[in-house]
Amino acid sequence: MADTDDPRRGYHDIGGKDYGPIDPEVTEMKPWERQSTAISNALGAAGRHLYVTDESRRAREQMGEPLYNDLDYYERSTESMKMILVEKGLFSDEELEERMSKIAQRMAEARG
Amino acid sequence: MSGNFAPGDTVKVISTHPPGHRRTPYYIRGKTGEIERVCGDFANPEELAYGFDGLPKKTLYRVRFKQSHVWDDYAGPETDTVDVDIYEHWLLPA
Amino acid sequence: MAEERGTHDHDHDHDLTFQPNIEDGEPGRYELMTYAIRELLMEKGHLTPEELRAAQEKVESLQKSDGAMIIAKAWTDPDFKQRLLDDGNAALAEVGVDAGAAKMTVVENTDDVQNVVVCTLCSCYPRAVLGMPPDWYRSKSYRSRVVIEPRKVLSEFGTDVPDDMTVRVHDSLADLRYLVIPRRPEGTEGWSEEQLAAIVTRDTMVGVANPTAS
Repeated sequence: MADTDDPRRGYHDIGGKDYGPIDPEVTEMKPWERQSTAISNALGAAGRHLYVTDESRRAREQMGEPLYNDLDYYERSTESMKMILVEKGLFSDEELEERMSKIAQRMAEARG
Repeated sequence: MSGNFAPGDTVKVISTHPPGHRRTPYYIRGKTGEIERVCGDFANPEELAYGFDGLPKKTLYRVRFKQSHVWDDYAGPETDTVDVDIYEHWLLPA
Repeated sequence: MAEERGTHDHDHDHDLTFQPNIEDGEPGRYELMTYAIRELLMEKGHLTPEELRAAQEKVESLQKSDGAMIIAKAWTDPDFKQRLLDDGNAALAEVGVDAGAAKMTVVENTDDVQNVVVCTLCSCYPRAVLGMPPDWYRSKSYRSRVVIEPRKVLSEFGTDVPDDMTVRVHDSLADLRYLVIPRRPEGTEGWSEEQLAAIVTRDTMVGVANPTAS
Protein backbone atom coordinates (compact mmCIF):
# COMPACT_ATOMS: atom_id res chain seq x y z
CA MET A 1 0.00 0.00 0.00
CA ALA A 2 1.36 3.42 -0.91
CA ASP A 3 1.95 5.81 1.93
CA THR A 4 -1.15 7.94 1.95
CA ASP A 5 0.34 10.50 4.34
CA ASP A 6 3.45 11.47 2.38
CA PRO A 7 3.46 15.29 2.26
CA ARG A 8 5.26 15.17 -1.09
CA ARG A 9 2.21 13.62 -2.67
CA GLY A 10 -0.17 15.94 -4.52
CA TYR A 11 -3.77 16.04 -3.27
CA HIS A 12 -4.98 15.23 -6.79
CA ASP A 13 -2.71 12.17 -7.03
CA ILE A 14 -5.05 9.67 -5.41
CA GLY A 15 -4.47 6.29 -7.09
CA GLY A 16 -4.51 3.60 -4.40
CA LYS A 17 -6.34 5.62 -1.75
CA ASP A 18 -9.85 4.79 -0.63
CA TYR A 19 -12.53 7.41 -1.15
CA GLY A 20 -15.36 5.02 -0.44
CA PRO A 21 -18.33 3.74 -2.43
CA ILE A 22 -18.88 4.91 -6.01
CA ASP A 23 -22.11 6.77 -6.67
CA PRO A 24 -23.34 5.45 -10.02
CA GLU A 25 -25.77 8.30 -10.66
CA VAL A 26 -25.10 10.24 -13.85
CA THR A 27 -26.19 13.86 -14.22
CA GLU A 28 -26.71 15.97 -17.32
CA MET A 29 -24.45 18.95 -17.97
CA LYS A 30 -26.07 22.24 -16.99
CA PRO A 31 -26.16 25.06 -19.57
CA TRP A 32 -23.48 27.11 -17.78
CA GLU A 33 -21.27 24.02 -17.53
CA ARG A 34 -21.51 23.57 -21.28
CA GLN A 35 -20.76 27.25 -21.74
CA SER A 36 -17.70 27.08 -19.49
CA THR A 37 -16.45 23.98 -21.30
CA ALA A 38 -17.00 25.66 -24.66
CA ILE A 39 -15.05 28.78 -23.66
CA SER A 40 -12.21 26.66 -22.38
CA ASN A 41 -12.16 24.54 -25.56
CA ALA A 42 -12.29 27.63 -27.78
CA LEU A 43 -9.27 29.13 -26.00
CA GLY A 44 -7.38 25.87 -26.37
CA ALA A 45 -8.25 25.37 -30.03
CA ALA A 46 -5.42 24.60 -32.42
CA GLY A 47 -3.33 27.68 -33.09
CA ARG A 48 -4.75 29.61 -30.13
CA HIS A 49 -2.96 28.02 -27.19
CA LEU A 50 -4.36 30.66 -24.85
CA TYR A 51 -5.28 27.96 -22.41
CA VAL A 52 -4.16 24.37 -22.82
CA THR A 53 -5.19 21.18 -21.03
CA ASP A 54 -1.90 20.87 -19.18
CA GLU A 55 -2.29 24.37 -17.76
CA SER A 56 -5.78 23.54 -16.57
CA ARG A 57 -4.47 20.43 -14.82
CA ARG A 58 -1.67 22.40 -13.19
CA ALA A 59 -4.16 25.02 -11.96
CA ARG A 60 -6.23 22.27 -10.30
CA GLU A 61 -3.12 21.12 -8.49
CA GLN A 62 -2.36 24.69 -7.42
CA MET A 63 -5.76 25.90 -6.22
CA GLY A 64 -5.24 24.27 -2.82
CA GLU A 65 -6.77 21.16 -1.36
CA PRO A 66 -9.77 22.79 0.38
CA LEU A 67 -10.99 24.38 -2.84
CA TYR A 68 -10.19 21.25 -4.88
CA ASN A 69 -12.29 19.16 -2.51
CA ASP A 70 -15.15 21.64 -2.19
CA LEU A 71 -15.73 22.29 -5.86
CA ASP A 72 -17.44 19.89 -8.20
CA TYR A 73 -15.95 19.00 -11.56
CA TYR A 74 -17.16 21.94 -13.66
CA GLU A 75 -16.63 24.43 -10.84
CA ARG A 76 -13.06 23.21 -10.62
CA SER A 77 -12.53 23.56 -14.34
CA THR A 78 -13.97 27.09 -14.31
CA GLU A 79 -11.76 28.07 -11.36
CA SER A 80 -8.74 26.62 -13.20
CA MET A 81 -9.53 28.59 -16.34
CA LYS A 82 -9.87 31.78 -14.30
CA MET A 83 -6.54 31.17 -12.53
CA ILE A 84 -4.64 30.74 -15.80
CA LEU A 85 -6.30 33.70 -17.56
CA VAL A 86 -5.52 35.96 -14.59
CA GLU A 87 -1.98 34.60 -14.52
CA LYS A 88 -1.64 35.55 -18.20
CA GLY A 89 -2.97 39.02 -17.53
CA LEU A 90 -6.08 38.75 -19.71
CA PHE A 91 -8.05 40.24 -16.84
CA SER A 92 -7.55 40.73 -13.11
CA ASP A 93 -9.34 39.08 -10.20
CA GLU A 94 -10.82 42.45 -9.25
CA GLU A 95 -12.11 43.05 -12.77
CA LEU A 96 -13.71 39.64 -12.80
CA GLU A 97 -15.37 39.97 -9.38
CA GLU A 98 -16.74 43.36 -10.36
CA ARG A 99 -18.18 41.94 -13.56
CA MET A 100 -19.69 39.00 -11.69
CA SER A 101 -21.53 41.40 -9.37
CA LYS A 102 -22.86 43.36 -12.34
CA ILE A 103 -24.09 40.20 -14.02
CA ALA A 104 -25.71 38.99 -10.78
CA GLN A 105 -27.50 42.33 -10.60
CA ARG A 106 -28.68 42.11 -14.21
CA MET A 107 -29.93 38.59 -13.68
CA ALA A 108 -31.76 39.57 -10.49
CA GLU A 109 -33.44 42.41 -12.40
CA ALA A 110 -34.43 40.02 -15.17
CA ARG A 111 -35.99 37.70 -12.60
CA GLY A 112 -37.95 40.73 -11.32
CA MET B 1 10.66 7.42 -33.15
CA SER B 2 13.47 8.31 -30.84
CA GLY B 3 13.46 6.69 -27.45
CA ASN B 4 15.85 4.47 -25.63
CA PHE B 5 13.54 1.62 -24.74
CA ALA B 6 11.89 -1.10 -26.76
CA PRO B 7 8.91 -3.34 -26.02
CA GLY B 8 9.89 -6.03 -23.54
CA ASP B 9 12.58 -3.95 -21.82
CA THR B 10 12.47 -3.90 -18.04
CA VAL B 11 12.37 -0.37 -16.64
CA LYS B 12 12.25 1.27 -13.24
CA VAL B 13 10.29 4.44 -12.58
CA ILE B 14 12.41 7.12 -10.95
CA SER B 15 11.53 7.52 -7.30
CA THR B 16 11.60 11.24 -6.73
CA HIS B 17 9.03 13.84 -5.75
CA PRO B 18 9.96 17.17 -7.31
CA PRO B 19 7.47 20.04 -7.07
CA GLY B 20 5.65 21.11 -10.20
CA HIS B 21 3.17 19.52 -12.56
CA ARG B 22 4.05 15.84 -12.98
CA ARG B 23 2.19 13.16 -14.89
CA THR B 24 3.74 10.16 -13.17
CA PRO B 25 1.46 9.08 -10.35
CA TYR B 26 2.80 8.66 -6.84
CA TYR B 27 1.86 5.00 -6.56
CA ILE B 28 4.03 3.95 -9.49
CA ARG B 29 7.22 5.85 -8.61
CA GLY B 30 10.04 3.48 -7.76
CA LYS B 31 8.24 0.48 -9.30
CA THR B 32 9.61 -1.86 -11.95
CA GLY B 33 7.68 -2.81 -15.05
CA GLU B 34 7.99 -3.81 -18.67
CA ILE B 35 7.68 -1.62 -21.75
CA GLU B 36 4.43 -2.73 -23.43
CA ARG B 37 4.66 -0.34 -26.34
CA VAL B 38 6.29 2.82 -27.58
CA CYS B 39 3.51 5.37 -28.03
CA GLY B 40 5.38 8.09 -29.91
CA ASP B 41 6.86 11.48 -29.16
CA PHE B 42 4.78 14.15 -27.45
CA ALA B 43 5.33 17.68 -26.22
CA ASN B 44 6.36 17.51 -22.58
CA PRO B 45 3.28 18.16 -20.41
CA GLU B 46 5.47 19.20 -17.49
CA GLU B 47 6.46 22.24 -19.59
CA LEU B 48 3.15 22.78 -21.39
CA ALA B 49 1.57 23.15 -17.95
CA TYR B 50 3.47 26.41 -17.47
CA GLY B 51 2.77 27.90 -20.88
CA PHE B 52 5.96 26.73 -22.61
CA ASP B 53 6.04 24.80 -25.86
CA GLY B 54 7.09 21.49 -24.36
CA LEU B 55 9.89 21.02 -26.88
CA PRO B 56 11.90 18.95 -27.43
CA LYS B 57 9.26 16.25 -27.42
CA LYS B 58 9.56 13.33 -25.07
CA THR B 59 8.98 9.70 -25.95
CA LEU B 60 5.94 8.26 -24.23
CA TYR B 61 5.73 4.60 -23.25
CA ARG B 62 3.03 2.35 -22.02
CA VAL B 63 4.59 0.44 -19.14
CA ARG B 64 2.98 -2.72 -17.75
CA PHE B 65 3.31 -3.49 -14.03
CA LYS B 66 2.20 -6.54 -12.10
CA GLN B 67 -0.41 -5.47 -9.59
CA SER B 68 1.08 -7.81 -6.97
CA HIS B 69 4.33 -5.81 -7.28
CA VAL B 70 2.68 -2.39 -7.15
CA TRP B 71 0.49 -3.06 -4.10
CA ASP B 72 1.64 -5.07 -1.09
CA ASP B 73 -1.76 -6.52 -0.31
CA TYR B 74 -3.16 -6.83 -3.81
CA ALA B 75 -6.25 -9.04 -3.72
CA GLY B 76 -6.26 -10.77 -7.09
CA PRO B 77 -4.37 -13.21 -9.28
CA GLU B 78 -0.68 -12.78 -10.10
CA THR B 79 -1.60 -12.17 -13.73
CA ASP B 80 -3.44 -8.88 -13.07
CA THR B 81 -1.65 -5.81 -14.39
CA VAL B 82 -1.79 -2.05 -14.50
CA ASP B 83 -0.61 -0.21 -17.61
CA VAL B 84 0.61 3.34 -17.02
CA ASP B 85 1.56 6.02 -19.58
CA ILE B 86 5.05 7.21 -18.63
CA TYR B 87 7.43 9.65 -20.32
CA GLU B 88 10.98 8.61 -21.00
CA HIS B 89 12.59 10.98 -18.52
CA TRP B 90 10.83 9.16 -15.69
CA LEU B 91 12.29 5.77 -16.67
CA LEU B 92 15.61 4.05 -16.00
CA PRO B 93 16.85 0.74 -17.39
CA ALA B 94 16.39 -2.03 -14.83
CA MET C 1 -18.64 42.86 -33.79
CA ALA C 2 -14.86 42.93 -34.08
CA GLU C 3 -14.58 46.71 -34.36
CA GLU C 4 -16.49 47.07 -31.10
CA ARG C 5 -13.98 45.06 -29.14
CA GLY C 6 -12.48 46.85 -26.18
CA THR C 7 -15.34 49.31 -25.89
CA HIS C 8 -17.58 49.51 -22.88
CA ASP C 9 -20.86 50.26 -24.52
CA HIS C 10 -23.66 49.20 -22.20
CA ASP C 11 -25.95 47.78 -24.86
CA HIS C 12 -23.03 45.87 -26.18
CA ASP C 13 -22.60 44.22 -22.78
CA HIS C 14 -26.14 43.05 -22.97
CA ASP C 15 -25.56 41.60 -26.42
CA LEU C 16 -22.82 39.45 -25.02
CA THR C 17 -24.66 38.25 -21.98
CA PHE C 18 -25.73 34.69 -22.13
CA GLN C 19 -29.38 34.63 -21.19
CA PRO C 20 -29.92 31.79 -18.73
CA ASN C 21 -33.25 30.36 -17.83
CA ILE C 22 -34.54 32.82 -15.25
CA GLU C 23 -36.66 30.07 -13.72
CA ASP C 24 -33.48 28.52 -12.39
CA GLY C 25 -33.25 30.98 -9.49
CA GLU C 26 -30.08 32.59 -8.24
CA PRO C 27 -26.97 31.66 -10.16
CA GLY C 28 -24.05 30.14 -8.29
CA ARG C 29 -20.58 31.66 -8.07
CA TYR C 30 -19.16 29.61 -10.92
CA GLU C 31 -22.11 30.19 -13.18
CA LEU C 32 -21.58 33.94 -12.73
CA MET C 33 -17.86 33.49 -13.22
CA THR C 34 -18.46 31.70 -16.50
CA TYR C 35 -20.60 34.55 -17.87
CA ALA C 36 -18.12 37.16 -16.61
CA ILE C 37 -15.15 35.39 -18.21
CA ARG C 38 -17.08 35.18 -21.45
CA GLU C 39 -17.92 38.88 -21.45
CA LEU C 40 -14.42 40.01 -20.55
CA LEU C 41 -12.75 37.77 -23.14
CA MET C 42 -15.07 39.01 -25.87
CA GLU C 43 -14.70 42.68 -24.97
CA LYS C 44 -10.95 42.38 -24.93
CA GLY C 45 -10.89 40.57 -28.24
CA HIS C 46 -9.64 37.21 -27.02
CA LEU C 47 -12.73 35.33 -28.08
CA THR C 48 -15.11 35.94 -30.96
CA PRO C 49 -18.76 34.93 -31.02
CA GLU C 50 -17.95 32.68 -33.98
CA GLU C 51 -15.26 30.83 -32.05
CA LEU C 52 -17.53 30.40 -29.07
CA ARG C 53 -20.45 29.25 -31.19
CA ALA C 54 -18.33 26.61 -32.88
CA ALA C 55 -17.00 25.40 -29.52
CA GLN C 56 -20.51 25.35 -28.07
CA GLU C 57 -21.73 23.25 -30.97
CA LYS C 58 -18.89 20.83 -30.37
CA VAL C 59 -19.78 20.52 -26.68
CA GLU C 60 -23.39 19.82 -27.65
CA SER C 61 -22.22 17.10 -30.01
CA LEU C 62 -20.33 15.52 -27.11
CA GLN C 63 -23.59 14.90 -25.28
CA LYS C 64 -23.98 11.79 -27.39
CA SER C 65 -21.54 9.11 -28.38
CA ASP C 66 -20.48 7.33 -31.55
CA GLY C 67 -18.93 4.55 -29.51
CA ALA C 68 -21.61 1.88 -29.85
CA MET C 69 -21.67 2.18 -33.64
CA ILE C 70 -17.89 1.84 -33.74
CA ILE C 71 -17.90 -1.27 -31.57
CA ALA C 72 -20.69 -2.87 -33.62
CA LYS C 73 -18.63 -2.29 -36.74
CA ALA C 74 -15.55 -3.76 -35.05
CA TRP C 75 -17.54 -6.86 -34.08
CA THR C 76 -18.80 -7.45 -37.60
CA ASP C 77 -15.72 -6.38 -39.55
CA PRO C 78 -12.53 -8.09 -38.30
CA ASP C 79 -10.33 -5.99 -40.59
CA PHE C 80 -11.76 -2.78 -39.13
CA LYS C 81 -11.22 -4.13 -35.64
CA GLN C 82 -7.60 -4.86 -36.44
CA ARG C 83 -7.12 -1.36 -37.82
CA LEU C 84 -8.64 0.07 -34.62
CA LEU C 85 -6.19 -1.92 -32.52
CA ASP C 86 -3.25 -0.97 -34.76
CA ASP C 87 -3.97 2.75 -35.16
CA GLY C 88 -7.04 4.02 -33.37
CA ASN C 89 -6.96 7.54 -34.80
CA ALA C 90 -6.75 6.38 -38.43
CA ALA C 91 -9.50 3.78 -38.02
CA LEU C 92 -11.79 6.27 -36.30
CA ALA C 93 -11.19 8.78 -39.09
CA GLU C 94 -12.55 6.16 -41.52
CA VAL C 95 -15.91 6.40 -39.77
CA GLY C 96 -15.82 10.17 -39.48
CA VAL C 97 -14.62 10.47 -35.88
CA ASP C 98 -11.83 12.98 -35.27
CA ALA C 99 -10.01 11.88 -32.13
CA GLY C 100 -7.91 15.03 -32.12
CA ALA C 101 -4.36 15.25 -30.84
CA ALA C 102 -4.75 12.42 -28.34
CA LYS C 103 -3.54 8.99 -29.39
CA MET C 104 -6.52 6.67 -29.32
CA THR C 105 -5.43 3.39 -27.85
CA VAL C 106 -7.95 0.63 -28.42
CA VAL C 107 -7.79 -2.49 -26.27
CA GLU C 108 -9.87 -5.62 -26.63
CA ASN C 109 -11.64 -7.67 -24.00
CA THR C 110 -11.13 -11.37 -24.72
CA ASP C 111 -12.00 -14.62 -22.99
CA ASP C 112 -8.81 -14.16 -20.96
CA VAL C 113 -8.61 -10.40 -20.38
CA GLN C 114 -10.89 -7.73 -18.96
CA ASN C 115 -9.63 -4.18 -19.55
CA VAL C 116 -10.76 -1.25 -17.44
CA VAL C 117 -9.81 2.41 -17.88
CA VAL C 118 -9.22 5.15 -15.32
CA CYS C 119 -7.30 8.40 -14.93
CA THR C 120 -6.02 8.56 -11.36
CA LEU C 121 -4.64 12.12 -11.68
CA CYS C 122 -7.58 13.92 -13.27
CA SER C 123 -10.24 12.51 -15.58
CA CYS C 124 -8.70 11.87 -19.00
CA TYR C 125 -11.44 10.28 -21.09
CA PRO C 126 -11.94 9.55 -24.82
CA ARG C 127 -14.45 12.37 -25.27
CA ALA C 128 -14.22 12.34 -29.05
CA VAL C 129 -15.66 8.82 -29.03
CA LEU C 130 -17.61 8.50 -25.79
CA GLY C 131 -18.68 12.09 -25.16
CA MET C 132 -18.34 13.72 -21.76
CA PRO C 133 -17.28 11.43 -18.91
CA PRO C 134 -19.98 10.30 -16.47
CA ASP C 135 -19.92 11.61 -12.89
CA TRP C 136 -18.60 8.37 -11.43
CA TYR C 137 -15.62 8.30 -13.80
CA ARG C 138 -14.59 11.73 -12.50
CA SER C 139 -15.23 10.82 -8.85
CA LYS C 140 -12.43 10.46 -6.34
CA SER C 141 -13.93 7.13 -5.30
CA TYR C 142 -13.49 5.57 -8.74
CA ARG C 143 -10.14 7.27 -9.46
CA SER C 144 -8.61 6.21 -6.17
CA ARG C 145 -9.93 2.67 -5.91
CA VAL C 146 -10.13 1.04 -9.32
CA VAL C 147 -6.37 0.96 -9.69
CA ILE C 148 -5.77 -0.91 -6.40
CA GLU C 149 -8.88 -3.08 -6.14
CA PRO C 150 -10.25 -3.34 -9.66
CA ARG C 151 -12.07 -6.61 -9.06
CA LYS C 152 -13.97 -5.19 -6.11
CA VAL C 153 -14.87 -2.03 -8.02
CA LEU C 154 -15.97 -4.06 -11.03
CA SER C 155 -18.17 -6.24 -8.81
CA GLU C 156 -19.78 -3.07 -7.46
CA PHE C 157 -20.71 -2.32 -11.07
CA GLY C 158 -22.19 -5.82 -11.27
CA THR C 159 -19.24 -7.27 -13.17
CA ASP C 160 -17.64 -10.31 -11.58
CA VAL C 161 -14.40 -11.36 -13.20
CA PRO C 162 -13.29 -14.96 -12.56
CA ASP C 163 -9.77 -15.50 -11.18
CA ASP C 164 -8.62 -17.30 -14.32
CA MET C 165 -9.07 -14.06 -16.26
CA THR C 166 -6.57 -11.21 -16.17
CA VAL C 167 -7.79 -7.77 -15.12
CA ARG C 168 -5.79 -5.11 -16.89
CA VAL C 169 -6.20 -1.58 -15.54
CA HIS C 170 -5.16 1.29 -17.81
CA ASP C 171 -4.19 4.50 -16.04
CA SER C 172 -4.76 7.05 -18.78
CA LEU C 173 -2.66 10.02 -17.76
CA ALA C 174 -1.03 11.70 -20.63
CA ASP C 175 -1.53 11.79 -24.35
CA LEU C 176 -3.29 8.46 -24.73
CA ARG C 177 -7.03 7.93 -24.62
CA TYR C 178 -8.39 4.43 -24.18
CA LEU C 179 -11.35 2.70 -25.76
CA VAL C 180 -12.29 -0.83 -24.75
CA ILE C 181 -13.77 -3.21 -27.33
CA PRO C 182 -16.09 -5.35 -25.19
CA ARG C 183 -16.46 -9.10 -25.73
CA ARG C 184 -19.23 -9.80 -28.20
CA PRO C 185 -21.76 -11.83 -26.24
CA GLU C 186 -22.89 -15.29 -27.28
CA GLY C 187 -26.30 -15.41 -28.88
CA THR C 188 -25.68 -12.40 -31.12
CA GLU C 189 -24.64 -14.37 -34.19
CA GLY C 190 -26.20 -12.92 -37.32
CA TRP C 191 -27.27 -9.68 -35.64
CA SER C 192 -27.14 -6.48 -37.66
CA GLU C 193 -24.81 -3.65 -36.72
CA GLU C 194 -27.83 -1.70 -35.45
CA GLN C 195 -28.92 -4.55 -33.20
CA LEU C 196 -25.39 -4.94 -31.89
CA ALA C 197 -24.93 -1.22 -31.29
CA ALA C 198 -28.05 -1.25 -29.11
CA ILE C 199 -26.40 -3.51 -26.51
CA VAL C 200 -23.11 -1.59 -26.35
CA THR C 201 -23.28 0.90 -23.50
CA ARG C 202 -20.80 3.55 -22.43
CA ASP C 203 -19.84 1.54 -19.36
CA THR C 204 -18.91 -1.47 -21.50
CA MET C 205 -16.47 0.73 -23.47
CA VAL C 206 -14.80 1.93 -20.26
CA GLY C 207 -14.61 -1.68 -19.17
CA VAL C 208 -16.64 -1.64 -15.96
CA ALA C 209 -19.45 -3.67 -17.54
CA ASN C 210 -19.93 -6.29 -20.25
CA PRO C 211 -22.69 -6.38 -22.84
CA THR C 212 -25.25 -9.16 -22.83
CA ALA C 213 -27.47 -10.47 -25.61
CA SER C 214 -30.69 -9.91 -23.70
